[in-house]
Amino acid sequence: MTALAAPPTNASLGRTVRSEWVKLSSIRSTWWTALAMVVLGAGFTTIISGIAAGDIASGKSHDSPGEYITQGLIFSQISAVVIGALVVTSEYGTGMIRATLAATPVRSRVLAAKAIVVSGFLFVVGVVTAFLGYFGGNAFFRSERVGISLGDEHMLRSMFGAGLYMAGLGLLAGAIGLLVRHTAAAISIVLALVFIIGQVVQLIPGTVGEWVMKLMPGNAGPGIVVPVSFGDNMLSPWTGFAVFVGEIALLGLAGLALFQKRDA
Amino acid sequence: MIRAQGLTKTYDGKNAVNGIDFTVEPGRVTGFLGPNGAGKSTTMRMILGLDAPTKGSVTVNGHRYASSPAPLREVGALLEAHAVHPGRSARNHLRWLAASNGIPTTRVGEVLELVGLDSVAAQRAGRFSLGMGQRLGIAAALIGDPPVVMLDEPVNGLDPEGVRWVRSLARQLADDGKTVFVSSHLMSEMALMADHLIVIGRGTILADSPLQDFMAEHASAYVRVKAPRSTDVEALLVGRGLDVTRVDDELRVQGLDAPAIGELIGGHGLFLHELTLVRSSLEDAFMELTADSVEYHARTEVAA
Ligand SMILES: Nc1ncnc2c1ncn2[C@@H]1O[C@H](COP(=O)(O)OP(=O)(O)OP(=O)(O)O)[C@@H](O)[C@H]1O
Ligand SMILES: [Mg+2]
Repeated sequence: MTALAAPPTNASLGRTVRSEWVKLSSIRSTWWTALAMVVLGAGFTTIISGIAAGDIASGKSHDSPGEYITQGLIFSQISAVVIGALVVTSEYGTGMIRATLAATPVRSRVLAAKAIVVSGFLFVVGVVTAFLGYFGGNAFFRSERVGISLGDEHMLRSMFGAGLYMAGLGLLAGAIGLLVRHTAAAISIVLALVFIIGQVVQLIPGTVGEWVMKLMPGNAGPGIVVPVSFGDNMLSPWTGFAVFVGEIALLGLAGLALFQKRDA
Repeated sequence: MIRAQGLTKTYDGKNAVNGIDFTVEPGRVTGFLGPNGAGKSTTMRMILGLDAPTKGSVTVNGHRYASSPAPLREVGALLEAHAVHPGRSARNHLRWLAASNGIPTTRVGEVLELVGLDSVAAQRAGRFSLGMGQRLGIAAALIGDPPVVMLDEPVNGLDPEGVRWVRSLARQLADDGKTVFVSSHLMSEMALMADHLIVIGRGTILADSPLQDFMAEHASAYVRVKAPRSTDVEALLVGRGLDVTRVDDELRVQGLDAPAIGELIGGHGLFLHELTLVRSSLEDAFMELTADSVEYHARTEVAA
């Protein structure tokens, strides 16, 4: 047996990040879920664009192609939530959290590494999804001579914004996962927040309802994904995203506080 | 070396571990013995900083576990719950552990070979049998080649060959000068594995002594005497101040060794049918010691 080199004398975030990446990438479901994110996102964008292209070209619809070119990403949100939640909750489900914390006892470092790995991964997959959707959908718009270019206003923001938003959603799900420590609960809560509660709050009458809706994470966050906003009842893209990041940070800090305090 | 001082853990107002002090020394196998619910796993989790002590402290190699920059290089632990993701292969499980503590990946193959899992290293851990899972846990404990090895119920789920393997592994680690701390609820297992015993019951230390001393102190012995004229024999022995208990047709004698008892009886012209030294097993000793501190008694009698 080879003798090990002297142990490192200082702990490093880099080692924890590498370790978390080995964890994330060595689970098959990570790759299936990421594939679902790409296929659903790019696929639906292509289909929806294909359906809309004719009407836009003939003038029957007054929408702009930009309203459609990232639409499929609505479905990709599910994958981001699943991956983000699992990074935290699968460790509780399997008892692996104890091995993780025995290997890296500084809990804030464990969370930082998880956040870096999951957000980096989702950013890349989100951007790939957005670009593939653009190429697929724009093929239809171009054939109807209403194509859009990546150089058009907001297009690049939208492509990379898709990655940022998916990364944010994953972090949001991970933070909720820290609070509830249960996979199904964490995923359900975040999906309900994004898909249901975000819409239901419209029913609150008056400007209160209007504001609550604007501020909901699933409404504030994705503004940076769409190049041409389809509603005017939204925060401006970067303002919305800042609100979204703030919400993630609050939940993340609450999760960190609990994580530091609770027995593993 | 592991040192606990006044270590206490309270869950919901109930003391799982109750102000215990102990030291686990290097170069020997220290058995941590106690019935179910005695507080063994809780103590081990506190050693690893997974559960925070309610009071008191515990250090490994002179400092808190959590203050080590690469703790897997200092302490390797097999925990009770299989801390493995079922969808990850054995090799990848060890890879992330290695990466987290700056341990070279070559070590992964070494420990896989050491525990005999090299041929199934690519299989998902979820498919592993109980025994294979246990071996993977032991591989994980050894990945950093640590001077302190802590195993919580390592023989659980192992077949006889596996049990023997764990025993010789513990021995070898101790012979290499490592600190080896092994928990079990089986006295018989500890009798074969440990050099030193720490017995815990209901969160309190009941004994802390070398195995030999523990055996001498707790495993009582008596001489079984069977004789045709047993009442005369009994009277004779009692007359000599010996401690005699009658159980059916046998006499259990304490206070003199077997040859002396035989000579005494023969010297009085009485016949003997049996003269045997009986050692009560360590298991009995352990049962006796922990009788008051067993958390969960099985009901063996039917209510009258
Ligand atoms: N997380 C927890 N919350 C509440 N009570 C707990 C917790 N962990 C342990 N306990 C209680 O603490 C006591 C000691 O449990 P522990 O698991 O340490 O015992 P053990 O000696 O390892 O037993 P076993 O031989 O069954 O593994 C038990 O009464 C148990 O119910
Ligand atoms: Mg236990």
